[in-house]
Amino acid sequence: MSDTRPLDPGAHGGVTPGHYYGHGLPYLNIDQYPGKIIAIEGTDGVGRSTQIRLLREWLEVQGYGVVETGWTRSPLMQPTIELAKSSNTLNKLTFVLLYACDFADRLEKEVIPALKAGFIVLADRYIYTAIARAGVRGIDSQWIRRLYGFAIAPHLVFYLKLDVDALARRVLETGGMSYWESGMDLKAGDDIYDMFRTYQRQLLKEYNAMADEFGFRVLEGRRSINALQEELRRQIGEFLEASDSPKMLGPGL
Amino acid sequence: MFVTEWNSSALVKAATRTGKKKNALTPMTFSLLHATDFADRLMYSIIPPLKAGMIVLADRYAYTAFARDAARGVDRQWVRDLYSFAVKPDLAVYFRVTIDVSLDRLLARRVKLKFYEAGMDMGWSNNPVESFRIFQSKVLDEYDKIVPEHDLRVVDASGSITEQQRIFRRLVSEYLEAQS
Repeated sequence: MSDTRPLDPGAHGGVTPGHYYGHGLPYLNIDQYPGKIIAIEGTDGVGRSTQIRLLREWLEVQGYGVVETGWTRSPLMQPTIELAKSSNTLNKLTFVLLYACDFADRLEKEVIPALKAGFIVLADRYIYTAIARAGVRGIDSQWIRRLYGFAIAPHLVFYLKLDVDALARRVLETGGMSYWESGMDLKAGDDIYDMFRTYQRQLLKEYNAMADEFGFRVLEGRRSINALQEELRRQIGEFLEASDSPKMLGPGL
Repeated sequence: MFVTEWNSSALVKAATRTGKKKNALTPMTFSLLHATDFADRLMYSIIPPLKAGMIVLADRYAYTAFARDAARGVDRQWVRDLYSFAVKPDLAVYFRVTIDVSLDRLLARRVKLKFYEAGMDMGWSNNPVESFRIFQSKVLDEYDKIVPEHDLRVVDASGSITEQQRIFRRLVSEYLEAQS
């Protein structure tokens, strides 16, 4: 039975979920893999990791195998990215390419094996974060889309949308504004509060522009954690029910 | 004049070393790491001397990636698109040798072939020399596509160094004369 039926025809960048967006990895044929990718996108401080933790518990209780993958978490690239961020040697192009390498490492080592084994992959950020950050830094939009042609179109993409005012307060409450979250590398000024707002506003513009192109399901990030979680569970539950593939067995069941 | 070498940027060395030591690189991460290295050198080592009107001698260029990555099974068009940020060289010279000659020369210099150099990551053969032959024949096939596509000048590298240098100098002087 088909596990690739698009929920929103024409969305997902015009690509069937579970397939490569563009020139994929010719040496890895993923066409019949039963797993699903659910990506949670949104800027810093929007509460993605909390939502993912709660989703994982809920899915596992129902017997699904769940794998999480998160931005810059690949063992290969994490030390290099940290080094590059701290040593000020990163230009916008190497920044973009290091992220792509991190993504590729996680895609091949974590995501694809999980899809093959029928797991649900919860992705804390996906390629859209990379595209948004590159867009703000003036990287050619076609080039970055072709670069991420090896990425697999997720089955669902949730975008937790938060306006700059709410975002600024949340980030200040939870540790403050960081150099990178404020786009200080763009060298547009010295005031971190102003830079944070300007940078995050530009990022939001990039995310909004991608919403239709990649079929984002947009959720209002100002809502309470519980209300958001309920909405996520409702939509994911519907998707999994409608999916023709048999219910997956988690490990140990 | 400025000389730049493949795979030499400080930024990427750490990750490449980790990856190579653990044999942890896939064809895709191998490709992206080298592109990152190239981008780093392009911005810091290649473009500034070009702006200053200098001649940059590049020991390998994006074509190495086109050949090697495609030989590892990465999509040809994807690699070309990836490197579209690279400056097109004014003159690109390809020193062509047969697999036997390149093997003889490599083995004469050191004890054994490096893991990735021999394409051992692909699992085609457990014997480094055999693996090198398989990998290198794919790489040479790729170069045969690249030469006409990107207008590379070919030098027969099976001859003596003196002979190759003579041809190389002629190619370079012809190019420089045509410019002035």
